[in-house]
Amino acid sequence: MGLIVLRTAVIFVALLAVMRLMGKRQIGEMQPFELVITLLIAELACIPMADTSIPLLYGLISMLTIFLLHQVMLLIDLKWKPFKTIVGGKPSVVINKNGVDISQLKKNHLDLSDLIESMRTAGYFSLDEVAYALYEANGQFTAMPREDAPKENKVSLPVLIIDDGKYCERNLMLTGTTRKFFDDILYEQKVKTVRHVYVLTLDGTGKIYMQCKGEKFRTFRIKLPEGSAW
Amino acid sequence: MVKTLLSIFISLALLVGAAVFETFYVGAQFDKFGDALEALEIKVRDESATRGDAEAVRELWETEKKNLHSVIPHNDISYIDYWMGEAVSYIETKNFDDALSKIEVLITICEQIPQTYSVSFENIL
Repeated sequence: MGLIVLRTAVIFVALLAVMRLMGKRQIGEMQPFELVITLLIAELACIPMADTSIPLLYGLISMLTIFLLHQVMLLIDLKWKPFKTIVGGKPSVVINKNGVDISQLKKNHLDLSDLIESMRTAGYFSLDEVAYALYEANGQFTAMPREDAPKENKVSLPVLIIDDGKYCERNLMLTGTTRKFFDDILYEQKVKTVRHVYVLTLDGTGKIYMQCKGEKFRTFRIKLPEGSAW
Repeated sequence: MVKTLLSIFISLALLVGAAVFETFYVGAQFDKFGDALEALEIKVRDESATRGDAEAVRELWETEKKNLHSVIPHNDISYIDYWMGEAVSYIETKNFDDALSKIEVLITICEQIPQTYSVSFENIL
């Protein structure tokens, strides 16, 4: 039994470490240790139940160990803040007043499409609509709208044109634009090459949201080419 | 808070209790069975063992295994049943050489099983 307790504890700690290293992408509205417990409990209950060669007591002991670890984690969560950060992580501010925080996204193994998806789920379709956006320790996305967010009269979905220094060919086709069209815009904006651009989105009103790597975001309007509508 | 602390202490006490009980209980059961096997081994070496002696050891094992089922995997118990059955039949047919090898295996299993469940670095990993 002592062996089972220790083995369960080792697996618990290992799984918890892996979940923390995987970043917020793997967590869905649960604290990392809660997710680990959910993963373990199902297996612990099933194996002795289905395999008659294993005494049921093994499953019960493992589950009791998980319960003990859960209670210990809860206690630590309440009483010892530094450990809480180690075990549960801390919120990551992925959009701030300068725009998208690339380092925070990378730290959590997220990319721009994940961020845009989270924003859409939260009801924001343009990156400049929010002043701050963060992924909570449990992986939930929270956004604080900008008070001076531009109110567009024309409803139009912004599409991603440049994602981490690369053109999205599908969206170029969708918007009826070309690489040359955006290369000229980048030249006007004094951006040497597309590789320097982390994100560039375009909406149907001609509004562009652009952020170069290591710089603050900027928004400006362009005249859309003839027949460009989506 | 009090409820959490209480649940921690109760579950910890249950786990420690179960671990201590298992260590001593499994060890004691196999010690007893191992002693019986060693006595049978001496008789087999002297070629004086009878089916009655072997059956007595098997009966002891049958009694012990009922309790051991809840703490050790049933496959381990089946191995002992298998080797024990062979030893009994060899003793009955006075094939003492083969019976001796079966009893040696049983003695080794009796030494190994409690070690398999002991808390040690190699067992944890």
